Amino acid sequence: MNARFSRRDFLKASIAAGVAIKVSFLLPSARAQLIETPPLPGPDWLKADGKPRYRLDAIAKVTGQKTFSRDYRASDLPGWPKEQSHAFLIHATKADQVFEGIDLNVLGDDLKPDRVLLHEDLMADGIVIPVLGFYGDVFLVPKGQTARLLGQPVALLIYRDFARYDAAKRMVRFNDSVVRYGEKAPYSHPANYGAARYVRIGGSDPSDEDVYSPLKDAVIYGGFSDNEPTWPAAGEGDPMALGMAAAEEIKKEIDSAGDDALVLRRNYFSQSIDASAMEADNGNVWYDSSAGTLHAMIATQSPYEVAEVSAILVSKSKFPLKNVDLKVGYTVGYGTKDHAILPFYCVVAGLYGDGRPVRLANDRYEQFQLGLKRHAFWMDNALVIDRATGKFRAMTGHFKNDGGGRANYSFSVAMVGATAAQSIYYLPKSDFSAAALASRAVDAGSTRGYGTLQSMSATEMMVDEAADLLGMDAIDLRLKNVFKSGMKNSQGAIPAGALRNEEILLKARQHPLWIQRAEKKASFDAANPGKKYGVGFGHVQKDYGTGAEAALATIEFDAKGRIRLAHVAHEIGTGATTSQAIMVGDILGRVPDETEYGKVLWPQMPLESTDEPYTLSQSDEDQRKQNPRWTPRITSPMSATNSVYYLGHATREAARALVELSIWPAAQSLWSRGIGGGALAPYSVRSDELRLVNSIVNAGGMPSLSIADVAAEAHRLGLITGVTVHTFNRWQWTEAEFDIPGVGHRKMAIDAIALKYGDGAPPDKKALMTLDGWQFLNRTAVSYPPVQRNNAGVTYYAPMATFAEVVVDIGSGEVALLSHHTITECGTQVVPELVSGQIQGGIAMGVGHALKEYLPLYEDGPGDGTWNWNRYELPRARDVAVWSQTAEVLPPLSSTDAPKGLAEVVMIAIVPAIANGIAHAIGKRFYELPITPEKIREALT
Amino acid sequence: MTLASKKLSLTINDKAIDAMDVPETMMMLDFLHEYLNLTGARMGCGQGICNACSVIVEHEDGTLQEARTCITGAHWFAGKKVRTVEGHAKRDASGAIVELSPVQQAFIEHFAFQCGYCTPGFVTGATVLMDQLKRNPVARADLEKTITDALDKHICRCTGYVRYYEAVRDLALNTPGLVKA
Repeated sequence: MNARFSRRDFLKASIAAGVAIKVSFLLPSARAQLIETPPLPGPDWLKADGKPRYRLDAIAKVTGQKTFSRDYRASDLPGWPKEQSHAFLIHATKADQVFEGIDLNVLGDDLKPDRVLLHEDLMADGIVIPVLGFYGDVFLVPKGQTARLLGQPVALLIYRDFARYDAAKRMVRFNDSVVRYGEKAPYSHPANYGAARYVRIGGSDPSDEDVYSPLKDAVIYGGFSDNEPTWPAAGEGDPMALGMAAAEEIKKEIDSAGDDALVLRRNYFSQSIDASAMEADNGNVWYDSSAGTLHAMIATQSPYEVAEVSAILVSKSKFPLKNVDLKVGYTVGYGTKDHAILPFYCVVAGLYGDGRPVRLANDRYEQFQLGLKRHAFWMDNALVIDRATGKFRAMTGHFKNDGGGRANYSFSVAMVGATAAQSIYYLPKSDFSAAALASRAVDAGSTRGYGTLQSMSATEMMVDEAADLLGMDAIDLRLKNVFKSGMKNSQGAIPAGALRNEEILLKARQHPLWIQRAEKKASFDAANPGKKYGVGFGHVQKDYGTGAEAALATIEFDAKGRIRLAHVAHEIGTGATTSQAIMVGDILGRVPDETEYGKVLWPQMPLESTDEPYTLSQSDEDQRKQNPRWTPRITSPMSATNSVYYLGHATREAARALVELSIWPAAQSLWSRGIGGGALAPYSVRSDELRLVNSIVNAGGMPSLSIADVAAEAHRLGLITGVTVHTFNRWQWTEAEFDIPGVGHRKMAIDAIALKYGDGAPPDKKALMTLDGWQFLNRTAVSYPPVQRNNAGVTYYAPMATFAEVVVDIGSGEVALLSHHTITECGTQVVPELVSGQIQGGIAMGVGHALKEYLPLYEDGPGDGTWNWNRYELPRARDVAVWSQTAEVLPPLSSTDAPKGLAEVVMIAIVPAIANGIAHAIGKRFYELPITPEKIREALT
Repeated sequence: MTLASKKLSLTINDKAIDAMDVPETMMMLDFLHEYLNLTGARMGCGQGICNACSVIVEHEDGTLQEARTCITGAHWFAGKKVRTVEGHAKRDASGAIVELSPVQQAFIEHFAFQCGYCTPGFVTGATVLMDQLKRNPVARADLEKTITDALDKHICRCTGYVRYYEAVRDLALNTPGLVKA
């Protein structure tokens, strides 16, 4: 998922200067349980070949240890008071009547809360929304005003004991008498969030320079007239005006297309859904007024942001603040816990705990009411295809999404949806626009897919229909238009590395499901009256990363060769902690003996950032980067898709640096012992012959060395024995140059480094290690990717193609998934078991989006507080072809292929595959998701 | 506070809980979480839909039963023997794990789970299924259907269920007496 919202306001609004922020991951005892891997001591989780026998966190999770933030109570947290208070929110379920107050008579005296907070109480204490706009304008609905969005909280109730809290919550739930409303009033949601447009006219050949593109020229930004986007006038000179002229040219060409072209115009709708992460949002906060410390344990995918914004929130209030101490556990959110608002309600609750920790934990009804949703998208597409050649001439798509009543990432999601709409195709001309609308709906945010599931599913459904209309094989049509390596995307950028969609399509065309589909349909339909068989195909490529990916990692070893890895990554279920450790093993030949994840305090890296990676001008960045401690961003939010490639880059760079700066010279030293240069001298052994496997160091026929021996030598010689790196990617890696003491000048794909020297280092070198035992090395030069790269939208893609074999019951309209088969490619698989788990899980989510999950946006939607999994149907094992699904992952082109992030792409291809399979089965096409039995019955009658 | 409460005695993970004062309306899940600090059984829906909260009730005849604690009052469990996910692995006197249960071992070796929130429910469900298969073995041809029938009520959002189900199948096939030739 992407995070292109500028966080400039987060910091510019900050008056949190002087507040010390500390973020830590789990508790030491829990961390120990994760890595000690009982029942056997030592690295039982590893097989002899250094590959994992099970996940690093497997034992803790399978035995029900406290791993999630939700599992912790005050009594589990060292240093906290043992007495736990509990809080819940009361919500407005109407947005067209003013809020007058709450009536808690239903609770009687026994269940009266110990503390009730309304908007007016918060205002009196200076508690305001910390980032206006992004998180709305008020926490609680003010009296006499309407809720900005359905489900917005009106009051916070705090209880000092669980039993009364529990009983009161049950009394209040579904009770319409508790919130008092007054007269009718207009909706008060914010203004629409933004409109942007990506226009491209390529040269006469894909390799020619573009006539116009966002990367070369500009992204076009628009305004609104009611809910319709308005755009700059077409003209000359101004890059946006030129872009609009290009858009007009494309429109004219489509409108005037002759009989030699198929012009397909279709409107699509993709629904709002709740990602339904099993752990509902929650937090536990203790405000220690005597020390001015806010202690918190909160479920979040963006812990640093939560800590930082919490500091801003409290600093502006009457509550003195010196420290924020945030702990995070394992969590899961599929993006919905990235920049969510609930953590800040938890902080507010904690401030009113009267010295006791307060826990605010959504139940499922509340999670539906308050949790971030996937955006509903409306898409108006046109595709022009040359009938003779089957080549796409142009495509346009004009999209709107509904972001609900808080901005969050809605505009960014809309933009990413637009940039992804081209799917796997090369488009000579394209015009994709995106408008993020505000409404009274529950707010939507950074949910898995991030706009691309919506737009690419529509494209894939459209291409399938176009093939039908042209009388062409749908995979052949794709092959004629497939995006190949070196071509430009709809932003005019050339994606990274090899794009292997053509290889996937050629494989798919030979798959039995495709070859035999007509024959199988005929025989199945004949043998099963009332049922119709169909096979559908979908093929997409999804960007991964945000365009501002930053990470920190440390790898060091002691004189016994024990390796330690510390990393900013924390676990959200995908196995990031396992794969980072395995990556170290792949390079150093030994998996770390000790790991620390979720590390946020890096005293050895005194970096400074204004955290404006998307909005800083080139001249400002050129000026700031002269400061060798400056970086565009310090860390990124944790997402499933950014861990293996982007966070892994820091791991890999640190490990490679250790190989070059330490392992190789230490090994050379050992091999050259003895008269005449020892065993090394007669051979000509180069550093690229070094092989590190199973804790053994080899190179070019030299005697094997143990990692322990080499480590001891590195320490004896006082070589570098620890490396901490900071990395930054803006659709391209930053490179920096360093003068490394005792080594020389080096250029690396990082922007900052700190070093640790071995035990035998001379005093003058040791004297350099002034930052927690490390030397921060000022870079001598740095090359950040130009800020114009922000317009590239994306350059890193992972592909996925999926067949869905379906049967439609024409009586009931039920769709059964008989099987599905997937072909994907993700570079080098770090842990294949985790990759296949991602594929299987993503597909199940896609099945839900295609066939089952649906939320009305407004009054009868999740804001009304009655939604739960009884009426919101999630895919179960029966629905996902659990025993009959297959997948193949293309082998990497070479052993040096980087891994690719596929946690989002895996859920997308199945959506159009199912829709196209249904079309094959019953000859009807559907343009609105999900495709429910009711819609099918209606279509068949 | 005048919430009606009464004494609750039961056995959880072989440990006797003696006459604790528990509100009459409190759900078992909340009792486990807030009174016993056993947070392994998880709140998913609060409606008995997802089974993340399920625990085992061990009957006197040795049979095992799954019970959803989010919709079952704590007092329903009075006098019963309950096993939560924390009570499946063998532990030494200090409480340290010395051996996982066969179901737990199968799950970790198959990389069955990701976030792990639903895992306690699957451990519970699969353990009860293994017990049932021990008493009533199924034909090999019926094994997949038997697993699906038993575990379909458990919701997982990360994994797509495949690795959980494959782990259970492998365990059933590799445990003598559960599957008829």
